[in-house]
Amino acid sequence: MEIRKTGLKLAKSKPKFVDLVRETEDTFDLHTEIKAAPEVFDAEMLKIFEEGWVFVAHESQVPAPGDYKTSTIGTQPIVVSRNEDGEIYVLLNRCRHRGTVVCRADTGHSNFFRCPYHGWTYANDGSLVGMAMAEGWPKDFDRSELGLKKAARVARYRGLIFASLAEEGPTLEEHLAPAKKYIDAWFDRSPLGSISVIPTAHKYPYPGNWKWQAENGYDGYHGNFVHESWQRVLELAGEAPVSDIRKFRRGGRAVGLKNGHGLLERPGGLNPAASWAGRMMVTHPEYAVALRENFDEEYIDYVSSRRNIFIFPNLYLFDTHLRVINPVTVDSTEVYLYVYGLDGVPEEMNEGRFRAHERFYGPTGFGAPDDVEIFVSNQTGGNARGVEWSIYSRGMHRETVNEEGEFEGHSTDEAPVRAFYREWKRCMA
Amino acid sequence: MTNTEVTRTATRSPEATTITRAEAEALLFLECRMLDELRYEEWLTLFTDDGLYWLPIVDGDPEDAPKLISILYDDAQRRSERVYRTLHTPVLDQAPRSRTVHMVTNVEVFATAAGPRILCNMLVSELRPGGPQQGGLNETRILPARCEYRLRQVDGEWRITLKKVLLLEADQPLYNLAFLI
Repeated sequence: MEIRKTGLKLAKSKPKFVDLVRETEDTFDLHTEIKAAPEVFDAEMLKIFEEGWVFVAHESQVPAPGDYKTSTIGTQPIVVSRNEDGEIYVLLNRCRHRGTVVCRADTGHSNFFRCPYHGWTYANDGSLVGMAMAEGWPKDFDRSELGLKKAARVARYRGLIFASLAEEGPTLEEHLAPAKKYIDAWFDRSPLGSISVIPTAHKYPYPGNWKWQAENGYDGYHGNFVHESWQRVLELAGEAPVSDIRKFRRGGRAVGLKNGHGLLERPGGLNPAASWAGRMMVTHPEYAVALRENFDEEYIDYVSSRRNIFIFPNLYLFDTHLRVINPVTVDSTEVYLYVYGLDGVPEEMNEGRFRAHERFYGPTGFGAPDDVEIFVSNQTGGNARGVEWSIYSRGMHRETVNEEGEFEGHSTDEAPVRAFYREWKRCMA
Repeated sequence: MTNTEVTRTATRSPEATTITRAEAEALLFLECRMLDELRYEEWLTLFTDDGLYWLPIVDGDPEDAPKLISILYDDAQRRSERVYRTLHTPVLDQAPRSRTVHMVTNVEVFATAAGPRILCNMLVSELRPGGPQQGGLNETRILPARCEYRLRQVDGEWRITLKKVLLLEADQPLYNLAFLI
């Protein structure tokens, strides 16, 4: 497939999708069209979002039978529905008759989904249970195959629900395997090993490609520039001088994992000044007691590292929220931040986490809107097509591959984003 | 009116337990002008020390807000951080800065034991001017909201104990709101 002709040079070269990622031993470049061409976006929806595993909801968002949550897989509307038997179904949100969506609310509770057009009715597991004025069809009309179409595969890991529209392919376990130990550590910040999403989400749109957000959540390079104002606020509040914050930010590592996952990790140990968990264990001694009942000091130290974990292609695990990237068009994206409580911790500790979240994230936060400014500025800059390539090679010369096949870089290096685009290239081939 | 425990400090004239609609409007119009003229530091002084500036995602009582996520839930410290950040640090999300026009209408005043409660509607128009064809800039946004104010007298002046702004789009994806609503 050809990429749209946007310049003399490009028209001559006519790159294929896989040629938009250019890697040599010491260079890694991305072509501008990877975030600008509608053809690329359409192919991504098919080859990345519909053929792979996509995060669709957390169990706590549909806790009881009859609960549902609408969402998307790529750009296809879906309903995540909990059936009477407690099982979770991921259904394409489209009546099998004429194609009307059967559920338009964000979340809710219902005994069935009824199409508003002609009254076809579906159970919570998607099966077709009612056709209005059924005498209009032959008596032997087969309804059994006319339920809401189910995602080919649904699987869960620690309450995170994923779906795939492809019958074939790696299992969820295989997909998540390279990130599993980090996901586990992230959940183990809860003494019960679980989270509960609370029912108000921060949402922000931006006129830019979805991959700008994917690239940024584990980018340890931008903080001192994009978030200088945040660092100054922390200094004003007496929490830490800017110089200390910058010193802390030099530590840790950025890691590219197999299957497109990655993370930014900043160990704080149990030092309350540097570590979130360390601080919480001091301010909420009962939290420390609960953690120590489950784990030894070494693992608590490991758990207490600050981690931003990316699960390819649309989910980030952050300290306060699940971040879901929803591509809309090639230059339009919506990001949902589902804030959660850690189960089994003091209520005031979770409330403190919620206040910390509001302070930095969301549309009025002291940090997130600054990031969004960059995504939008990136998209606008991409219109200068006289420059074809952008540079993603930071740290390649000092990157190491460990025995688990992880690409480890300095915390400001671009190791995770390279892992993302290697997987992108594999999917798009 | 919810059951918030709002204690009233001593007032100069004990009988002045509420205000007229004209007085309420004068206060609201002054606030609008302070916000539109970027007089954010003066705006801080309109609040009591225990005052709350709140943008909920779903309508409700401020007592329930701590257990949920709000768009914004600012106590005095958070308000002063917000103003400091916006005015005195190198913010990207206000470079260029938002121009705003605040309008307040449908003002109603209710006297309560805890002091006046004002309900009103607000319309904030916002624009960030920039160079040609810059994404996210050069478009006027219209942000309608239903508002509630609660007041208490401090040293003979009415101050805000609650400013609640329920945006029409509160639960929708919201672009840059890094200015004061």
